[in-house]
Amino acid sequence: MATLVEVEDLRKEFGNVRALAGVSFCVQAGEWIAIMGPSGSGKTTLINILGGLDMPTSGKAVVDAVDVARLDEAGLTRFRAQKIGFIFQQFHLVPYLTAVENVMLAQYFHSTTDEKEAREALERVGLGDRIEHLPGALSGGEQQRVAVARALINHPKLILADEPTGNLDEANEETVIQLFRELHGEGRTILMVTHDPSIGRLADRRIEFAHGKLKQILPSFKPEPVR
Amino acid sequence: MFWRLLWKLLRASSGRLTVAILALVSCAMVVSALLNLEFDIERKLTQEFRMLGANVLISPGNAAQATGIGPGEPMSESDVSGALQDLEDPAVVASAPFLYVVERVRDTPVVVAGTKLEELPKLEPAWRIDGAWTSPQDHLNSCVIGRNVARQFQLLPGGLLNLTYLGKSAQLTVAGILDAGGTEDNQVFVQLAKAQDLAGLNGQISLAQLSVRGTTKSISQYSARLAARLPAYDVRPIRQVTEAESDLLNRIRLLVVSMVVLILVLTALCVLATMAALAMERRQDVGLMKALGGSIERIVALFMAEVGVLGAAGGFVGAILGIVLSRWMGQRVFGTAISSRWEIFPLTIALMVAVALAGALPLRMLGKVKPAMIFRGE
Repeated sequence: MATLVEVEDLRKEFGNVRALAGVSFCVQAGEWIAIMGPSGSGKTTLINILGGLDMPTSGKAVVDAVDVARLDEAGLTRFRAQKIGFIFQQFHLVPYLTAVENVMLAQYFHSTTDEKEAREALERVGLGDRIEHLPGALSGGEQQRVAVARALINHPKLILADEPTGNLDEANEETVIQLFRELHGEGRTILMVTHDPSIGRLADRRIEFAHGKLKQILPSFKPEPVR
Repeated sequence: MFWRLLWKLLRASSGRLTVAILALVSCAMVVSALLNLEFDIERKLTQEFRMLGANVLISPGNAAQATGIGPGEPMSESDVSGALQDLEDPAVVASAPFLYVVERVRDTPVVVAGTKLEELPKLEPAWRIDGAWTSPQDHLNSCVIGRNVARQFQLLPGGLLNLTYLGKSAQLTVAGILDAGGTEDNQVFVQLAKAQDLAGLNGQISLAQLSVRGTTKSISQYSARLAARLPAYDVRPIRQVTEAESDLLNRIRLLVVSMVVLILVLTALCVLATMAALAMERRQDVGLMKALGGSIERIVALFMAEVGVLGAAGGFVGAILGIVLSRWMGQRVFGTAISSRWEIFPLTIALMVAVALAGALPLRMLGKVKPAMIFRGE
């Protein structure tokens, strides 16, 4: 498998606060990585940098042969549109757009819209009958499934999910996790921040953070640290 | 998708945008009405100014001395009327020759002005008359007397006035009593032919007065053309009148333009306040759009288009209302409706779009939103 993500001595500081303190690791294409650790350990900061939402203070963050740290504002915009699919804990759907329009919004900023394809993406996540609903009329699980459909619509190289089940009840969590299993089965590369060890164990590897540093990388179902 | 998004944006913020569009419609209505007034004001005011009376005078003057006709000596009626007929300009609202003679009424000297009585209402619309300008029974033997003359000789409309001049006498019927508010109140107005007959000055006049519609420039140009046809006489605009008219017109124009600018600025500020609040509301949406790969240009273009649509819609509705308002204002101020100028429509819409875009400056600040900061809740 080819390396899709390469992080080398990545550092990020917010004033005096050190969010990431020299993190290094690689992710192969098609891997499902769970990023775990306590609050404030730098998980979301890492996801934001890899997704081009934030810039590192120093170090390298290469995704699909593009060093995010070297991109300007326009380059970051193109990078996000073409290579990344985001799934957030808070869903972040546009409240005045219907489910299908939320999916089409990602198409619009990527290239051109295709409503048929957007509808198919929603049908695939089991929302064929909720296509014209506004987010306010959808349950949390349904909203997150819309967010998954939106993240997948442009066929991104990397899916970045920040606590995607954090706001869901058990039944909806199971539905969303099942979607991630399917995506992984299709060979998608997923980096997922999660607090839930049971979800973390579904990933190929778990990367654990503490105080901005990479604590350990664990393969799934293998309790021994690899380094 | 662009128009779909635009429509959704407009619907989503309909409450706030209603405030902005009301401001734009109100502004467009007043601006359109004022511009319509401004475009038509010259025509309207020059019509109104004709209420002030004659503004061009033909007299023997200095030019006449070269021809041997001294100042105060009579001019040829046919020369003057011929020149006026030759030029035949529709801007001439009224013209009247005058022959002034001092005659006697019951041994009291009175200034008698021989003129075309039927022209006086058009020449001096501000003069008020009790009775009529001429008697329908006896046109030539009619007269109009000033109110001081009427008081002095205790005459009423329908009464008889005896004029004597160098042994000749004439009995005239008082058709009306004039209230001009000036020296004319001391005069007796008779038909020109009657005055010429009494004074033995057939075919001669003392001066001619004209009421000419137009700007100071056009009135001066007409006077110059007339002067070229009457080289023996002095033809000149009455400067106090024409310059006062021009000055008033310029002041009103300045007032209208100042009001338009002030209203545009105030509306831009109103839109600015609304858009600043809207920008705060939309930070989350913009953060998300940027996270999804939306470029600053595309996102800001979307919001600017939204504002542009508001400006165009406000301008269109306001321009229609403004035309109605200008017609009403015309009726109230000038007594007749202001003519609608259709070029006001695109001008008002363009102004409103410009005002709305100027007021949408805060939306441009959304380009600086950092998605990560928004998602962190900063």
